[in-house]
Amino acid sequence: MADSMNIKLKVWRQAGPNVQGRFETYTVPDANPHMSFLELLDVLNEQLIKSGSTPVEFDHDCREGICGSCGVVVDGVAHGPQRRTACCQLHMRHYKDGDTIVVEPWRAEAFPIVKDLVVDRSAFDRIIAAGGYVSINAGSAQDANNLPIAKTAADLAMDFAACIGCGACVAACPNASASLFTAAKISHLAMLPQGMPERKMRVTAMVNQMAEEGFGDCSNHAECEAVCPKGISISTIATMRREYMKAMLG
Amino acid sequence: MKSDLDSKIPNGPLKEKWDHYKNGIKLVNPANKRKHTVLVVGTGLAGGSAAATLAELGYKVKSFCIQDSPRRAHSIAAQGGINAAKNYPNDGDTVWRLFYDTVKGGDYRSREANVHRLAQISNEIIDQCVAQGVPFAREYGGLLDNRSFGGAQVSRTFYARGQTGQQLLLGAYQSMSRQIGLGNIEMFARQEMLDLVLVDGKARGIITRNLVTGEIERHFGDAVLLCTGGYGNVYYLSTNAKNSNVTAAWRCHKRGAAFANPCFTQIHPTCIPVSGDYQSKLTLMSESLRNDGRVWVPKKQGDNRKPKDIPEDERDYYLERRYPSFGNLVPRDVASRNAKLACDDGKGVGETKLAVYLDFAEAIARLGQDAIAARYGNLFEMYERITGENPYETPMRIYPAVHYTMGGLWVDYELQSNVPGLFVLGEANFSDHGANRLGASALMQGLADGYFVIPYTLGNYLASNDLKKVDGTHEAFSKAEKDATDRLEKLLSIKGTKTVTEYHRELGRIMWDYVGMSRTEEGLQTAIKEIAALREDFWKNVLVPGENSTMNKNLEFAGRLADFLELGELMARDALEREESCGGHFREEYQSEEGEAMRNDDLFTYVAAWAYSENGHTLIKEPLEYESVKLTTRSYK
Amino acid sequence: MSSKNAFSSPVGKKLITGITGLGLVVFAVEHMIGNLAMFSGNDAYNEYAHFLTSLGPLLYVVEAGLAAFFIFHITNGIQIWYGSRKARRIGYDTYRSAGKPSKQSASSRSMIVTGLILFVFLVIHLVSFKFGPGGPGNADATYVTTVAGVEMRDLAKLVRHKFDSPYYAFGYSFVMLLLVAHLRHGVWSAFQSLGATRPSLTPTIYGLGALLGLAIGLGFIALPLAIYFHII
Repeated sequence: MADSMNIKLKVWRQAGPNVQGRFETYTVPDANPHMSFLELLDVLNEQLIKSGSTPVEFDHDCREGICGSCGVVVDGVAHGPQRRTACCQLHMRHYKDGDTIVVEPWRAEAFPIVKDLVVDRSAFDRIIAAGGYVSINAGSAQDANNLPIAKTAADLAMDFAACIGCGACVAACPNASASLFTAAKISHLAMLPQGMPERKMRVTAMVNQMAEEGFGDCSNHAECEAVCPKGISISTIATMRREYMKAMLG
Repeated sequence: MKSDLDSKIPNGPLKEKWDHYKNGIKLVNPANKRKHTVLVVGTGLAGGSAAATLAELGYKVKSFCIQDSPRRAHSIAAQGGINAAKNYPNDGDTVWRLFYDTVKGGDYRSREANVHRLAQISNEIIDQCVAQGVPFAREYGGLLDNRSFGGAQVSRTFYARGQTGQQLLLGAYQSMSRQIGLGNIEMFARQEMLDLVLVDGKARGIITRNLVTGEIERHFGDAVLLCTGGYGNVYYLSTNAKNSNVTAAWRCHKRGAAFANPCFTQIHPTCIPVSGDYQSKLTLMSESLRNDGRVWVPKKQGDNRKPKDIPEDERDYYLERRYPSFGNLVPRDVASRNAKLACDDGKGVGETKLAVYLDFAEAIARLGQDAIAARYGNLFEMYERITGENPYETPMRIYPAVHYTMGGLWVDYELQSNVPGLFVLGEANFSDHGANRLGASALMQGLADGYFVIPYTLGNYLASNDLKKVDGTHEAFSKAEKDATDRLEKLLSIKGTKTVTEYHRELGRIMWDYVGMSRTEEGLQTAIKEIAALREDFWKNVLVPGENSTMNKNLEFAGRLADFLELGELMARDALEREESCGGHFREEYQSEEGEAMRNDDLFTYVAAWAYSENGHTLIKEPLEYESVKLTTRSYK
Repeated sequence: MSSKNAFSSPVGKKLITGITGLGLVVFAVEHMIGNLAMFSGNDAYNEYAHFLTSLGPLLYVVEAGLAAFFIFHITNGIQIWYGSRKARRIGYDTYRSAGKPSKQSASSRSMIVTGLILFVFLVIHLVSFKFGPGGPGNADATYVTTVAGVEMRDLAKLVRHKFDSPYYAFGYSFVMLLLVAHLRHGVWSAFQSLGATRPSLTPTIYGLGALLGLAIGLGFIALPLAIYFHII
């Protein structure tokens, strides 16, 4: 077993949506390099519960980087320092004894804080509901192989479809823009013939919904791509703009 | 509640049963569909597809999930793929063969008619998902690619990199989102179902807790669809998501729904081994890795050399040795048990000695690193992220972990439980996988149930029953709400000394040791005693922090654990009762000299459905009749 | 969809910012090359300026277009900046860039600041030169010259006069460095806003954009420094 580490955590605590929050500093004396970052928070919470305090709430579920539930800003970077890694898969071997780690929730007006590190990302669901789908009722599909799709297009669509909806793109964006999230779905469906009939309606509706939710505009900082656990390229955002221009031109 | 269970299997030859059924059912006319409200609990593959499809048909749907978004249900974590009998590779697949493989893979403990329907529907699922824009892997010619999976000798698995579950779930989620946008589905996220409400013996509503405000809500309708997944988290460590739980199903069970085959759990052979006590969950590595990875351990016990220092002739590729025709692609239960045997024999590897190697050296030499990266790149990355080791250079260490539960609420052919109006879909029911599920079959079942079965069977129920109007003011709701509130208050009021996680770990240890990969009469008796004692202690000494009126995950987990503490005991009882070895249920007393599982078809070809009453559980047996398949000893040799 | 909606949408705003930005880059290149005429002598410079003013109505059209470009570019820029402030009212205690492939930099973060300074500079610049002595509505016999028999404004004299002042020469040069910073992010960003989708080209576009920005900036700085240090 590897040596245990003493880790200080400076964590944002906020009891509810409309109350003042503040930072609290805690020490976890027996962190272990094999632990995941969320397991470190688990250990902290066990400590807090035992000492009669309220544990830190954070969203988490699959803990294998695919459900998109978890997401906190670790030392100023969404999901922490390891590239293409959600914080559930960030491991403590990247830290050393005595380190202090600052943990904050996603910050965006469109993601109001629910409690501590938990935010409300339902704005993402509303963006998808505005048009991020193909209108096909169960039962009406043709044989799957009647529609050949070039492997390159299918692979590219998969790159874009890999989005886990965690919201790190918004959290890291200096403008709190949801462009990468929105564009990833638009680009996924724009790559495929199935997405063609609704492509114009889709891009306008989704872009408008994104604006309505109060996200900022994209200034092409590309910070989103750098923190995206799936490494989705900002070329999706360019694709979204092309799609939008096409829709505008009729 | 009836004491015998009618499976309602339609008449006629196996291949025609589903058509017969569809021809004979009553339909709800389009104008009347609007008048029916359906409550769908859970938004995974089963719940998401059901909610979307029912809304498309015109029903009013209320959908519930415990996550912050329906897109996060645990189906999203399925990696490998989804089976279908398309036979695109022209390698001899048929609907019959998929049916047969699934029945055989389930070790002849599933219902023929349900499984055959599943195989028939499988092809439509692929069509539907492609039409939704699911980016399945393709060949250069633009057509769909297939790969092979354990328990089959054909390539029938469709996949989207290592994220098939995610893509299928997002397909269902997008279809749902469309209906949400159209106002046909009302979505309730961060809501946990705490009870089922029966009016005149029929399921008419649910009690939920708003996980943000703690408020208890009453929801009512004409039918309840339970799509809440499996109960693998009873083991504490499993590949399930942290929030996966049995509570909704268990509450239904306590309101009368029979729980079938609870002891049938699947231990997945390829997971990343445990590294320490703080471990919160286990991560699965897709079974597809066994297509190219070779499983081995050192021949010598306690061999501490690095894997690369162990010469070829001192390695035991035990799966290839024992099962030459299926080799590394034996079904999951067989692969898992063999890994355990190797470790029990002192040949385990790694720091904990609870792991075996999964080695890609040969495949990399044969196909090149790029080809392997294209197939498994994301899985290799994930492995490296978690373990800090590079699987291109050194073999992966893997060990079995609890992954899926074949057992679940009992349902008939219509997916209806023995509580009228309560339908159970996906992993939450017991019906299709018998004693062991084959890889890439869970996604198939969840979507089959939601897209293509429930629209027919639910319509038949609604059209056949005269459901009087019910709303939340009915006394049954008040009573259920009070029960739920009292339980929450009770949990908070104990203020003991042990945390929920400590109890859960303890339960997990008992379950893994005695109700895990291999089971004995003595061990199961011990488990029953220890779980009962633990449960008693839990209700006296648990420490749940915080209050009921805000988000409080410890309170949520405490409620779920309380149910696991009851379920665990029933699992042990079920395992004790079933004096045979079949699929994932391995009783050490019932094995051949070579250590292979020995079924007892004369005595145990039945579904063990457990009914709950205040006096405890009683076992109801639904005999399994095999008309089309001959029961044989499973052999993968 | 109404065009009002389209232009005020997140994509529309960036589209306008991008198009106007690229238009202004073209103008800057043209202006910068014009400036370099001074290195061929005062007459060449004056002739070039005279050529432009003699375009008459055409010049007014171009100037009106330019003004519109500036206005759209600036108002959209301000809107985007204001929107981003509104989208995150409470910032982070600790914030840093995750590094590559992020394009976040001091220049990308300060577009609003460099942009607004450039705007203020533009006003001063117009007052000093275009509407300065000898310019429209500001007849001044000191700044009249005759080149090849044609009487014209002696803009070269005014330029030399202004850039003899260290405040003006170095102030101008400093602002042109801000222009370099603005263009370092701006050129690439404009292409991205206009839908340059191929990720493999991103480094090239980004690199060329930054180089172009640098070239324009250095081209502008060459004149004031050359005059101040009496190189020309």
